This record gives sequence, structure tokens and C-alpha cells, in this order.
Amino acid sequence: MNHELPMSAQEIENHLRETVGEAVGDFKIEEIEKGLRKKSIDMIWLTVKRGEFRNAVKALADLQTPHLSVTSGSDKGDFLELIYHFQVNYGYPGKEVSVNMKVHLPKEDPIIPTITDIVPGALTTEREKQEFLGVNVKNIPNSRRLWLQEDFPEDKYPWRWDEEGMEDMSRYVHSEEDETFDKPIAKYPRKKEIEAKKKREEYMEEQEKKKKEDEGGD
Amino acid sequence: MNGENGAEETTYEVPIGPIHPALKEPFLIKFRLDGEEIVDAEPHPGMNHRGIEFMGMHRNPMEVIPLSERICGICSIVHQHMFTTATEHALQIEPTNRARYIRTIMCELERIHSHILWAGVAAHEIGFDTHLHLTWKIREKVMDLLEYIAGNRVNYSMWTFGGVRRDITEEMHPKISETLEYYEKTYDKLENIFLKDPSIKMRTKDVGILSKKKALELCGVGPTVRASGVKKDVRIDQPYAAYGDIDIDYVIPSRYGFEDKGDVFSKTVVRLKELLQSIDIIKQCVAQMPEGEITSEPKKAALFNKLEKKDGEGIGRIEAPRGEAIHYVRLSEGREDIDNWKIRASTYNNLPTYAPMFMGEQIADIPIIAASIDPCIGCMDRAEIVDIRSGETETYAREELHELSVEKTKKLKEEGI
Repeated sequence: MNHELPMSAQEIENHLRETVGEAVGDFKIEEIEKGLRKKSIDMIWLTVKRGEFRNAVKALADLQTPHLSVTSGSDKGDFLELIYHFQVNYGYPGKEVSVNMKVHLPKEDPIIPTITDIVPGALTTEREKQEFLGVNVKNIPNSRRLWLQEDFPEDKYPWRWDEEGMEDMSRYVHSEEDETFDKPIAKYPRKKEIEAKKKREEYMEEQEKKKKEDEGGD
Repeated sequence: MNGENGAEETTYEVPIGPIHPALKEPFLIKFRLDGEEIVDAEPHPGMNHRGIEFMGMHRNPMEVIPLSERICGICSIVHQHMFTTATEHALQIEPTNRARYIRTIMCELERIHSHILWAGVAAHEIGFDTHLHLTWKIREKVMDLLEYIAGNRVNYSMWTFGGVRRDITEEMHPKISETLEYYEKTYDKLENIFLKDPSIKMRTKDVGILSKKKALELCGVGPTVRASGVKKDVRIDQPYAAYGDIDIDYVIPSRYGFEDKGDVFSKTVVRLKELLQSIDIIKQCVAQMPEGEITSEPKKAALFNKLEKKDGEGIGRIEAPRGEAIHYVRLSEGREDIDNWKIRASTYNNLPTYAPMFMGEQIADIPIIAASIDPCIGCMDRAEIVDIRSGETETYAREELHELSVEKTKKLKEEGI
């Protein structure tokens, strides 16, 4: 297919809708004005279903050799969210459009197909998502760990907020005799927050129960 | 490559790395060698992974600003800028126009010192230590200017949500223009050394070639790919800060009568020409700088309120001295801490370009090619050579590797001149 570049954000959206179909949705086009001359830059946010994800990337590859800035990933409670930050129209001054492609993965089987055959530069970021978020990238050419130490537990992922997330794993190497270093200095605030919330809720429930009992007693 | 027994036994594995105290990321590259020739290179990063993203996700945005500039000592402005712009994008805060200009000036000053620093490192890697000392002496001038503006030589603490914390007043203009003039004058000297000296040319020309096709495929960024003729520059493609108001063009070697070859020499051309470009940008900024407030959020309490009460996600992108870098930030309502923070520095995307660049090169060229992408980890400490056939291990110290590189320069000099 021949497409004339640069394409506007709306044209890119139409192109994705045509080639991928209904699997892409939640389009949001942002126009941000910057500077005195009020030159605006465009950003597209969209969600794509896992099954059609590769086709969506292929659709972008039709336009230009895709530039993948990075993939960011996060634990959203019930599911994992990956955002692929692509850039289209590079090489055209002021016309570059960021295409931020969101893919949601259920926690039971966090599998996503690799895109390294379409974008070879995606390997680093795919490997990172495997070790930090516990995403399983299918058919990845090289799945060796990149950043975490060799002795880091296999089933723990630093960016998860559930049981598979990090415990306090700090090692206090300063002094073995000093007692203050034997104990964890601080627990991670996120866990603290959750615990505090639970306690608060329990307390509130108890209070309500008491109230009801008192009222019933009268 | 098959030996007498038909097995692959003539290749050697050479790990190079992972520690050097002077650099941000200690780093290891494993090379497979066939005699003197490199047949494969695999980078092993993560030797000093500090988990800054994880730390950031347990702190509030105000606390993360100082954390973000400590990601890298050389490009501390870059990460600070990306984090603040990403958060501003998430919260819909608009920085003032004056702040945009001040940010642009600071970014360009940082580019000047980073590129000169790189030139010194590159000269050192091929055995010209006099050039190392010369370039780093030249670099001091811009460091002084940065200190004069921000109060610090590194970690400037200039950024805040909605603008900057220190103004560039008119009294500062003479000092800025004096520094820029100094660089315009010394530029010729640098060009004479790095682009015209025959022995430096011999070591940098046709070494560590990255083809345009590979550069595009591997999503490389910055001077590393612009040297191959790829037009990628966030300042121009998707202007941030005040770059939208300024006239700039892609710096690729063919614009200056050189070849877009993608070798170390082309990368040197790009970096040196970007010095001139940075000087030009700062001049334009100083001339056009609008009057006004330096921050749109002067009240801290109101800002804290905003940070806590808003939902949103944002992206901050920048053309760092080493290439495009990006931060993604998400905040959620009712939570003081950041929900998600992804940092991606330029070297991250340039790592995969090592494999094609090292292919077919010699051991003595390892230091200069490794330095050519200007990695934040560009130094090598020790190299271990494993003879697969006998299982014997031989360790090269960094100095020995460096000596090999220096020897090669000497040899070439004798042959060539």
C-alpha cells in the first residue's frame, strides 16, 4: 500500500480502523500547543485487542519503518496494561504523531505475541516487560534477562502490586552486629497503604456493628 | 569457521565489562571472535540496576523531581525535563512561555558540554590523551556558565511543575554571549583535530559502520542514527519547550559535504556540527525570550492539591545529547504517589545497534566503536577471553585493551604517513 506521508492524526486513525477493524477502539486524539508560535503536536491514544495487536503494528509498518520509543507496562489490579509508544511521520518537521497503543492482558495468561519480526528494535523492551512485569512474550527470539540480577527470584516482578510483586528484599550489608540493620527499615508504602486501608475498613465495620448492636439494645 | 573436528571451535568468547566507577551504568559486552575478527556482540546491561522506576512509584511527584535528575550525572536536565513535562501533560499544567525558553537554553548548554565530553573520551580511546585534556579544558567554560545560571555544575535543580525555579535575567546575557563566542572561536580548533587530522581519520573512517536500514529497523536514536542519514530529531519532529519557535534543521553529515556513512567519523561530524547548532539555538532563544513569570504554579500548596486530586497520564519526550528519550507518567486520584513511571534513556534504544557495528571489526577497535554511540556506560574495565577449545581463560585489563587501541594508531601512523 502506498501512503503519502506525513499523515495527520485523523488519517492515521482512519487507516488503523480500516486495516484492523473493530479490534481497535477508544481513540483519543490530543492536540497540544506549544511555544509562542503555538505549533501543535498530535498524540493518539488507542486500545487494541490482543488478538489483533500484531495486525495493528503491521498497519503502522505500512506507513513507515515504525519507530518504537518504548513499551511501558503497569499492573492495573485485574489486568496488566502495556502501552506501545510508536512514532509516525518522523523526518517531517513538526508533523510527528505519537501513537500510543494500549493492550490489556488478563493476569491468568499474560501472553502477548512478539513484534520483533516487524520491529527488530523491540527486543530490549519486550525482554524488560518479561522480567519486570511477568508478561509472557510468545516467540521472543532471546528471553535472557537483561537488567535484574541473577539471584533475583524467578517468580517475583518489581512492577506488580499483587502477590507476585516484591516483598522487602533489601539486604542490609553495612553491619551485621548493628541491630538496626537487621530489621527492614521501612516497608514499601504501597503495601503499607493497602494494610492501613484494610485496618480502617475493619475498624469502620466494627464501629457500625457496635452502633447497630447499641441501637438494637435500646 | 568449522575446525578440524567439524565443530565450531575457532571462535572465542570475549566478555568486556562490567564495572567502571566513572560511569552511570557499568556494562558488559560479550564478543565472539574468529581470530582477531568480531563475529558477534551481545550487550549485557543491568550490572548496576538501581530500580529508580520502582523508587519513583513509591514517592510523590514533588519528591521524584530531585530523584529524576539523579538518573544520570551528565544529562540530569534531560530526565528532569521529561519527568516534569510528562507530569504537566498528565495534569494539564501549562508552563509559562518564559520558562519554555529558559528550559531550551539549559538543554542546549547541556548538549554542548556532553558533546565536548564525548569528543574527549573518543580521543582518549584511540590514544590521543592530549586531545582529551584539551577538550575537557574547553568544556569547563560551559560548566562555569551552567554553574553561574543554576548554582550547580551538575544536578541543577532548575525544573518545577509549571516552569523553572531560577530566571535567566538580563544581567546574565553578557556572560552567556561571552561563552558562546568562546565556543565559536574554539570550534575551528576542534574541527581541525577531529575532522582533518589524518591519524584520527584513519582510526574513525570506515570503522563501526551502521547502515541506514539497520539504524531504522533497530529504532536507534540521536547522533548514532543521524550519522547514517536518518532524519530523527525530537526537537524538530515534535517540538517541545520553545523549539517550535526556533529555526533548526536535522544535522546529518551530507548537509555539510560529508558522506552519510554511519561510521565513527560521521558520528563525530554530527556531534561537532551540533555544537554550532546549539550555539545558534541559544542565541535565538536569548534574542526572542519573552517577558513574564518563570512558573505558572508559584503556590506550593495549590500545586500539591492539584497533584493529589487529578487523574491522568502523560508523556515527556526530549532530544537528549545522546538521542531521543521518553518518560511515561500516570497519576491516579486519591493517591499521593505516582502510579506508574517508565523511564527510557537514549542508550537503551542504541544498545541493539552495537551488533551490526561491531560485526567484522577488530579487537583494537572495540573501545572507539563502543564509545561511538556515546553510551552512558562507554568505558570498559576488563575483558575476558575464553578459548573454547581448551577452556582456558585469559583476562584483558582495560588498560591492555586501551594499549592495543593505541598501538593500532601508532602502527597506522607509521604505515600511512
